[in-house]
Amino acid sequence: MDIVMKHNILSLFQLCDSNFPTGAFSHSYGLESYIQENKVHNQETFSEWLQVYLNEQLIYSDGLACHLVYQALEEDNLQKVWKLDRLLTVQNLPRETREGTQRMGERMLNLVESLYDAPIFSTYRNRIGTKQSFGHPAIVFTMIAQYINVSKAETTLFYLYSVVSSLVQNAVRAIPLGQTAGQKIIHQIQGDLATATLKIEQLDEEDFGIVSPGLEMSQMMHERINIRIFMS
Amino acid sequence: MEDWTGALNLEVEDRKGKTVAKKVYFQGAFKVMRPIYHDDSGHACYYLLNPGGGYLDGDRYQMKLSLLEKAKLTLTTQSATKVYKTPNNFAYQEAEISLQPGSYLEYLPDPLIAYQNAKYKQKNIIRMDKTATFLYADIVTPGWSPDGERFSYQTVQILNEVYVDNELVVYDHIKLNPASQNMNGLGFMEGFSHLGSMLVVGKQTNSSLLDQLYSAIDMNSDEYKLGLSILSVPGLTIRVLANTTQVIEKLFSEIHRVISQEWFNSEPSFLRKY
Repeated sequence: MDIVMKHNILSLFQLCDSNFPTGAFSHSYGLESYIQENKVHNQETFSEWLQVYLNEQLIYSDGLACHLVYQALEEDNLQKVWKLDRLLTVQNLPRETREGTQRMGERMLNLVESLYDAPIFSTYRNRIGTKQSFGHPAIVFTMIAQYINVSKAETTLFYLYSVVSSLVQNAVRAIPLGQTAGQKIIHQIQGDLATATLKIEQLDEEDFGIVSPGLEMSQMMHERINIRIFMS
Repeated sequence: MEDWTGALNLEVEDRKGKTVAKKVYFQGAFKVMRPIYHDDSGHACYYLLNPGGGYLDGDRYQMKLSLLEKAKLTLTTQSATKVYKTPNNFAYQEAEISLQPGSYLEYLPDPLIAYQNAKYKQKNIIRMDKTATFLYADIVTPGWSPDGERFSYQTVQILNEVYVDNELVVYDHIKLNPASQNMNGLGFMEGFSHLGSMLVVGKQTNSSLLDQLYSAIDMNSDEYKLGLSILSVPGLTIRVLANTTQVIEKLFSEIHRVISQEWFNSEPSFLRKY
């Protein structure tokens, strides 16, 4: 293995690290509504929720966006990137998850701008500043990955991993689950992340933004739950 | 020209305070009746008919609707849209809606009933001026099946795209896929069988409207689950899960009433259907 080449992947590990301060620890994407209804209360029920969230929402939004943004960047088609930024935002109908991801995207962008010297980050930030774009973590993540020459499939896979691992951390705190249970879930879902990545490669733009009603409902209902530790 | 099972082209304009048709064209299995005026406001109401009685394998329907400046229109159907089994190709319906400055459209079709082995896809594309107002509702219900299965249709896919002043502002994409999903599982229909969606886009939307809606609706009912949220532009989206059409219709008409009262100081008309 070429250790000099492979050290690029460490840069992606850095973004997937739950210590990377994007604010993901304060968003549950509707999980908290299920916890309050006592529908998610242990390792088994949380795993069920995580599978549904991954396969019925995340792959059609963030996951498919990673794939399409990477392609657009390879073709130097920035208009397409900005179009996907808008699509990602306007397909997200629940206000809390929409505004939450926007804030995460902006925060991540500011961070990576101090780490990488690529003009695309300041272009994106300027567009957000002038309200031409919204900001989304999946887009920032893909921009970095493509910039440091990580492959398209790995980019999608790593992004899915980063979302899932933050969600597991959040579930460990909120349900609560033991740390070992949390690690078991992260271990068990790795094969599903690979399957999801393959599925994303088979999707096309017509599939963008599909969401299952229950998940979306839980994200809308979160606006009115009484006690909350998450912002979405 | 594409081959449509049914096509409708309707353009309405405001003529001295009364909304009238400027252009009406329909062919095949799509028809509109003469407009009805429920009161003296000039607001027109059109009923859409499907003389074929239901959507079959590979059927394709197209509707083009245009509201010129200040036109006010309610478009509804005469009865539910029934989609029967589609062994080869899904049934498809698309609507292209254009709303010019100051116009107001209520598009309130009756429920969609998807029967055993039905595949259906629907796309609504709305292009509106920022001073226009759009109010839309749909209900997806499973049809009766001989073996009593709750979700016997294969897929129902509904996409709503709304553009305000040429910018995409809503991309609402639902796909129910009982053929491959566990509809009774967590995250899908949450134990319910009917799905209602409502979309309101209009510059008058503000947070006090949202509070009024929350106070008008019982959020702790066992009969349904309701979620509502404001859009990234002035407007809101509502989803309801329930077990009967009546429960959803009752909620939607209450929401419609609050909005009409708040924005136009009027009551919505009762849409009589015989």
